[in-house]
Amino acid sequence: MNTNLKISNVTKIYPGCVANDNVSLEFNSGKIYALLGENGAGKSTLVKILSGVIIPDEGKIYLNENNLKLNSPLDAKKNDIGMVFQHFNLFETLSVFENLIIDSDEERESLREKIDTIMKKYNFSIDLDIPVLNLSAGQKQKVEIIRCLIRSPKVLIMDEPTSVLTEQETSELFLSLKKFSEEGILIIYITHKLKEVMQLCDEVAVMRRGKLVSVSEIKNENIESLANKMVGQNLKTIKKKKAKTSSDQLIKITNLNFTSEDPFETNLMDINFSVNRGECLGIAGISGNGQSELFQVLSGEIISEKKSIEFNNNYIGDLSPQERREYLMAFSPEDRLEQAAIPQMKIFENVALNNFKSSNFFNNGLINENKIKEHSKKIISDFNVNTDNIELKSQFLSGGNLQKLIIGRELITSPDLLICFNPTWGLDVGAINYIHETLIKINEQNKSIILISTDTDELLKLSDKISVINKGKLSKIMNAEEVTSEKLGILMGGAN
Amino acid sequence: MIIDINFIGLIIASIMASAVPLILASCGELITERSGVLNLGVEGMMIIGAISGFALMTVTGSLIIAVFGAMLAGVLISTIFAFLTQTLITNHVATGLALTIFGIGISAMIGKNFVGIPGKEFPVLFEGLKDTIPLLGPILFGHSIVFYFAFALPFITSYFLKKTKIGLIVRAVGDSPESASNQGINVKLVRYACILYGGAMSGLAGAYLSMIYTPQWIENMTGGRGWIALALVVFSTWNPIKILIGAMIFGGLTIIQFHMQAIGVRIPVQFLTALPYIVTIIVLVVISRDSRKIRLSTPSSLGKSFHKDN
Repeated sequence: MNTNLKISNVTKIYPGCVANDNVSLEFNSGKIYALLGENGAGKSTLVKILSGVIIPDEGKIYLNENNLKLNSPLDAKKNDIGMVFQHFNLFETLSVFENLIIDSDEERESLREKIDTIMKKYNFSIDLDIPVLNLSAGQKQKVEIIRCLIRSPKVLIMDEPTSVLTEQETSELFLSLKKFSEEGILIIYITHKLKEVMQLCDEVAVMRRGKLVSVSEIKNENIESLANKMVGQNLKTIKKKKAKTSSDQLIKITNLNFTSEDPFETNLMDINFSVNRGECLGIAGISGNGQSELFQVLSGEIISEKKSIEFNNNYIGDLSPQERREYLMAFSPEDRLEQAAIPQMKIFENVALNNFKSSNFFNNGLINENKIKEHSKKIISDFNVNTDNIELKSQFLSGGNLQKLIIGRELITSPDLLICFNPTWGLDVGAINYIHETLIKINEQNKSIILISTDTDELLKLSDKISVINKGKLSKIMNAEEVTSEKLGILMGGAN
Repeated sequence: MIIDINFIGLIIASIMASAVPLILASCGELITERSGVLNLGVEGMMIIGAISGFALMTVTGSLIIAVFGAMLAGVLISTIFAFLTQTLITNHVATGLALTIFGIGISAMIGKNFVGIPGKEFPVLFEGLKDTIPLLGPILFGHSIVFYFAFALPFITSYFLKKTKIGLIVRAVGDSPESASNQGINVKLVRYACILYGGAMSGLAGAYLSMIYTPQWIENMTGGRGWIALALVVFSTWNPIKILIGAMIFGGLTIIQFHMQAIGVRIPVQFLTALPYIVTIIVLVVISRDSRKIRLSTPSSLGKSFHKDN
């Protein structure tokens, strides 16, 4: 049966921002639709309206000519609209089966049978009786998809589904989505990744600042044209110049081990690598394979054996982050609002936080506010942070601006080594571009970077050398030119 | 010296009796906390239950009205907490503390007229069977209905959480209110219900103290049992069966240290009085040292306000 979904003149206004401005769109089953846009373009708001999480101020939704009243997620479910959210809506401490039965009216046995049938049909294999927190991100997503499929939906909405997946998992997902589409499920695919749109979709709708910019067929588009529509200006493509091979070693990690008492952390086993001046070492891997532990060991949040880390001919393994900073290391952690900055503190206060010892900022234990503010203004203008109010609380900065502020704060002391962990996670194309340019610039100034990232494209673009972390072990270090994303994917999956 | 075997049975029964209010209040609070709400007002709700039960018993003369009235009083005072924390999104900790202070104050005020009035005798069940079995007879028979209910409650609670749909929903809400809300579960409704249930159980625990355990009204008669109940929930890692164990240890040591004081053992009284608190916590910490299980049974959203934005 044919499914037709129509969004008609939908508007949603938040204080200070029009999230959806009179958006009208039409979808038909048999095709896979992309909804493309930068962060904050309004695509998430639009799909949340479709799934009943957000109620629009104006506008109507029609499914097969029926006007839908979507006042809650339950209404969407009843009307056969299924949605897989970007941040999984799973209950981590409940078992997979409990997660699936919670919103189902079926009996245990019949539901189990149904789930088994679905898993067989689409080649999923997931243990239904283990808690969700033991699953990988890809498996969690499959649980979400099964949850939708149980209700045999007419419409399936996927919100940024690949942000946590590996290459392999992504191609598996694409295969499944194509299968669903052939079976008559209308698929709406939300993303800001252009490559995926080109690979998977038939039609693409581009949104920018809450407005629908264009609707077109994929065959009439290419990556550049879509990028320009999405950003609204011509993006320059950045390329890294090949670094001069330097043999001046800056940091050397020898036989580094970390054994955690927390069973949900990964142990690091016998880590060895070195980074030369002017070099960028990329560390790839599926999240949860020891990246966060490695970052903490390198930054000094976790202390290790003194001789396991040699930096600039000093053994610093047992030093705290503050002491390591004095040796000119700098850190940009993964979680911007939890680890890098304190959300309730003002911008300039956050700027002072990584520099307690500076005599500029503090005199005899008193805060020199003027100096800090001056310094903050310099960071804001040097690093293109889009605000002029340094009294603003950090939590109100967008992800991109906050990341620029953090990188700026770290770099303004001109460190020899910057260690960053997923620096562009969840950022839009414009901000990603800026961060990438900045990182390339650091290398050009003969300073080094350790880039821990789950984004293989980013790693291939920025790294001189690449290694893959899997279950707490590093693969051998490879030259970036010899590596393809397929090869990385295989290593990330744990093969040799 | 020959110790009468039934005397040991009586001691065990008295230990169990002293554990009853802890089990009731803890199992109630456990459900509240499993839904993600931290209600530190247990002590306050208990004492309100204690005075309400005693006052209703004195005024109406009906034990049934008094017991259910005490539970209703617990529900009413916890409704204040629910309204503040769920509807007005106030901080759980501060609101809970305020509730305790409020409860202690208002119970003392109402209680002024009830000081010194003797309580009524509460009927016990299976009195006649007490002497039929040595040792077990006094343990199993001759207790109030509330006593039997309390010892069934941990098992009922465990079954409810693990096996029923509503129990699953409660755990889901405590794990992630955002996800639950996106799944179409009414988080506020679930949390309201869990808070009110916790209030009812605390009220019942209070009524047990003032009507059955020591049938009279004394100001501040809960004497910190509400706080112990809270501690039991946390140190049992939200496991109803471990609450039962913890409550028995606490009750047992309380009774034993009384006897030790009476016999005149040469240990400072202060230390003996502190003993139940220390030992209970140490034992629960030791038997709950599996960090994987802790992770799986700790409600991740505990104490965090949830506000649905539209």
